Amino acid sequence: MRKYLTIFRISIEEEFAYRLNFILWRVRNVLQIFLTYFLWSTVYSDSTREIFGYNRTKILTYVFGIMVVRALVFSARAMDVSNDVANGDLSNYLLKPIKYIKYWFTRDLASKTLNLIFSIFEFLLLFIILKPPLFLQTNLFLLLAFILSIVLAILIYFLILFLLSSIPFWVPEIGWGSHFLVTVVIAESLSGSLFPINILPQLLQSIVMTTPFPYLIYFPVEVYLGNITSWALVGGLIVAAAWVGILWFTLNIVWQKGLKVYQSIGR
Amino acid sequence: MDRAIIVDGLVKNFEVTEKEPGLSGAFKSLFSPKKKTVHALRGISFAIQPGELVGFIGPNGAGKTTTLKSLSGLLYPTSGFVEVLEFDPWNRNPEFLKQISLVMGQKNQLWWDLPAIETFELNRAIYDLPRRTYNENLRELVELLEIEKLLNIPVRKLSLGQRMRMELTAALLHKPKVLFLDEPTIGLDIIAQQKIRDFVYDYNLKSGATILLTSHNMDDLVNLARRVIIINNGRILYDGAFEKLISDYAPNKIIKARLSNEKNISDLEKIGKVKKISLPEVVISVPRSTAAIAASELLQNFPVDDLTIEEIPIEEIIRKAFKGKSQK
Repeated sequence: MRKYLTIFRISIEEEFAYRLNFILWRVRNVLQIFLTYFLWSTVYSDSTREIFGYNRTKILTYVFGIMVVRALVFSARAMDVSNDVANGDLSNYLLKPIKYIKYWFTRDLASKTLNLIFSIFEFLLLFIILKPPLFLQTNLFLLLAFILSIVLAILIYFLILFLLSSIPFWVPEIGWGSHFLVTVVIAESLSGSLFPINILPQLLQSIVMTTPFPYLIYFPVEVYLGNITSWALVGGLIVAAAWVGILWFTLNIVWQKGLKVYQSIGR
Repeated sequence: MDRAIIVDGLVKNFEVTEKEPGLSGAFKSLFSPKKKTVHALRGISFAIQPGELVGFIGPNGAGKTTTLKSLSGLLYPTSGFVEVLEFDPWNRNPEFLKQISLVMGQKNQLWWDLPAIETFELNRAIYDLPRRTYNENLRELVELLEIEKLLNIPVRKLSLGQRMRMELTAALLHKPKVLFLDEPTIGLDIIAQQKIRDFVYDYNLKSGATILLTSHNMDDLVNLARRVIIINNGRILYDGAFEKLISDYAPNKIIKARLSNEKNISDLEKIGKVKKISLPEVVISVPRSTAAIAASELLQNFPVDDLTIEEIPIEEIIRKAFKGKSQK
């Protein structure tokens, strides 16, 4: 356990070594929130209006909820794993009595902690500037379900990143392409971080809900808003948990095979 | 345990994709990739006793690194038997990993943007070292390698030689019983090379660790390894005493000199066998026992600007002495 605590501490120190990088990434997040906020604020300019089952308060809470949930789910370092595999730095870890997957999960948690702290500050700042009407969830059961859904979201995203990062075992030159497609294009649009999934046509919605992506952002935020309750909530949690299981199982097989063909290149 | 390392009939093949040059080649390989099998190791066998310091020597691409990587559990052997400290390296048992270390001259484990002391702290946690043991080991290594002043400087600001000493420290904090050193002196200047060699020699004596060290340069092993293994094209050509290799296959040394003018150049034959003259550089081969005398004669009688005495390149020994054996 102590070894992972030390990794946690050093990871945070390293993030500070890249101060500017970190700040720019946070600025990007704030700008994105501004953009989404003003878009929906305009659509719902009439506060009595209700579209797609959202009123002004709820859609604006959704936008703010995204900010915090994004900081928790999308701030991850595990995409660097593909570099380790492609250029042979993975060897450094394989030589040590340490679990590589746990190592990266710890680094992800460090990154998330830091991002969460910053996003809370940003949250307060934006709250003071924009003064949006926010919806406060008071149902304790739903709050617990919200926390559980966040944990599942973090695991799903971590496992997806790790699986993508295993591709270089077989195709070392894949580089950033697959990550871009999955984490930027697919995850951003299907996770609900740009718009709530339930504004899509019903058929498309049901298809999207069987993929792991909406459980990253959309599902946790909706649980918080109280829009998903009873069986739909339980069902959603089961699907998310099932995805964690499937991804974990696949990852283990892929890594066992990957390590056998691993060439530990770059001398 | 009477053998620290046992290797028997180790074979390792790699699948590589070949690409034709140019854009059209890249396009072709996208749709019909050409696979080629590279035979990195073609069945090598040797055994090493605890506490031995063995030099693993051969030209680039001979299979030295592949051997070290197979021994440390990074590569999955195609076939053959490997045992290190009575463990199968491939299982990467934590108890095994706590007793070995692999240092690669061209790879680093240090965290690039942080001072090296942070990596050391991390290794302390990873290897479960008690604080006291860690402090003792660190102090010892800091003294031996003279790195006191470098501990708190971000790694990216260190020179190559300084970084190598840090790498060694990081690799030795947990006092491994078996140490694999892959070209530890590559790219270093002569003084830095000598520092590393002295350190390896002392460390072997003091700690009693088994050390396997690779190099493509015979000079690296002089006064260091008593036993050498020569590898070429994935096969072992020679495994025995360094002294015997020298006396049987490398009786001569090479003197390289830079002359400031061409005076008396024909007299060079008197000093030794002239191998090459491309002025201002001359290369002379002389018997090992009289190399020092030959060098001083050269200095006295010729306008020498610069002079070095070197071992015969390993490629030449392989070409001459193991002609038959080294064929594919």
